[in-house]
Amino acid sequence: MSDAARRDAQELLGCESCGLVSAAAVIDEPGLLQQCPRCGHVLRATKPFALQRTWACVLAAAVLYVPANALPVMVTTSAFQHDEHTLLGGIHELWLDGSWFLAAIVFIASIAVPMLKIGALGLLAWTVRHRPEWRRLERARLYRLVEAVGHWSMLDVYVVVLLAATVRFGPLASVGAGLGLLAFTAVVVLTMFATWSFDPRMIWRDAPANGRVA
Amino acid sequence: MARCSRCDAVIGRSHRLTIGSVLALTVAAAAVYLIAVSAPLMTLTLRGPTESATVVEAILSAWRDGEPLVAVVAAATALVAPAAFVGLRLYVLFPLSLGSKPPGFAWCVRALRQAERWNMVEVFTIGVLLSLVRLAGLADASPGPGLFAMGALTVLFASIASAGLKHLWWSVQ
Repeated sequence: MSDAARRDAQELLGCESCGLVSAAAVIDEPGLLQQCPRCGHVLRATKPFALQRTWACVLAAAVLYVPANALPVMVTTSAFQHDEHTLLGGIHELWLDGSWFLAAIVFIASIAVPMLKIGALGLLAWTVRHRPEWRRLERARLYRLVEAVGHWSMLDVYVVVLLAATVRFGPLASVGAGLGLLAFTAVVVLTMFATWSFDPRMIWRDAPANGRVA
Repeated sequence: MARCSRCDAVIGRSHRLTIGSVLALTVAAAAVYLIAVSAPLMTLTLRGPTESATVVEAILSAWRDGEPLVAVVAAATALVAPAAFVGLRLYVLFPLSLGSKPPGFAWCVRALRQAERWNMVEVFTIGVLLSLVRLAGLADASPGPGLFAMGALTVLFASIASAGLKHLWWSVQ
């Protein structure tokens, strides 16, 4: 592809909302934004402050991930005992009960998915700056994977909310949420925001305009 | 199915669902949604006393127990986003099926994108199932009609979402 053709290709902007492709306008006045002529959505070559916002959310999520795992997410009280359950503890109990399949599901949702999201988004944000040409296609796929599985980390939050709402038998048996749940919910929300603030188009910055590249 | 030649992302699919069939599915989803949020998800019996909870009750009890952030996030993902998913689609699709474009169409399509991002009905359904299993050892737990409605809603939402949002623009021109 010639340089001229590549330059032309980069001056097109796709609308995130309706999909219409428009020519990028020359904006000489700061503060003005180009809008999609069909749906009015703001058109940008990249999301604003994409890297800064991604890093901020990823780092905050990574910090909160420590109390989310160390503090109990659920507190159970019965006539005889008062138990505190952490995320890993709950999975261990399921495993000991013989529910290996469920233990695996909860492990994937509560441990693997948040770690994948924090690790993958950190890697994606770092490589944009420091290894822009490294495995672009795999990085694009990694981003789509993170986007697709992100929801599942809410699983344990729902379970604790449901258990706390139904197990209300006073001193006989009751379930409450622990501080760890608050931290874990924050981790889930922060990683969702991190995913949305990252712009996968940054992976392809200065890449050949067409054809697969390794 | 069309894929990006550079990054391999899916950029378009053939749409077997017409505006009319998506509207039909959305009306069904609206009815199922009302059952899903108002019927008990599960019932628990422990030596006599019985407890049951709907989605709304579960979220309210999290709020009262001093977990406002958890309650707000759960409400946004299991209650508000699904409601917006259904409500905004009904508002957009009824006029479209009659051949006119409703006021605020562009805003609605953008809001629908956000609703799809925040909607976690599928995760919530698995969460209810998981709670039932964890309760089975402690007390007599049985699934309620709300759980079945949640499961049906998950399937309906997946079929509705497969029709896509961007192609709504093709039908207004």
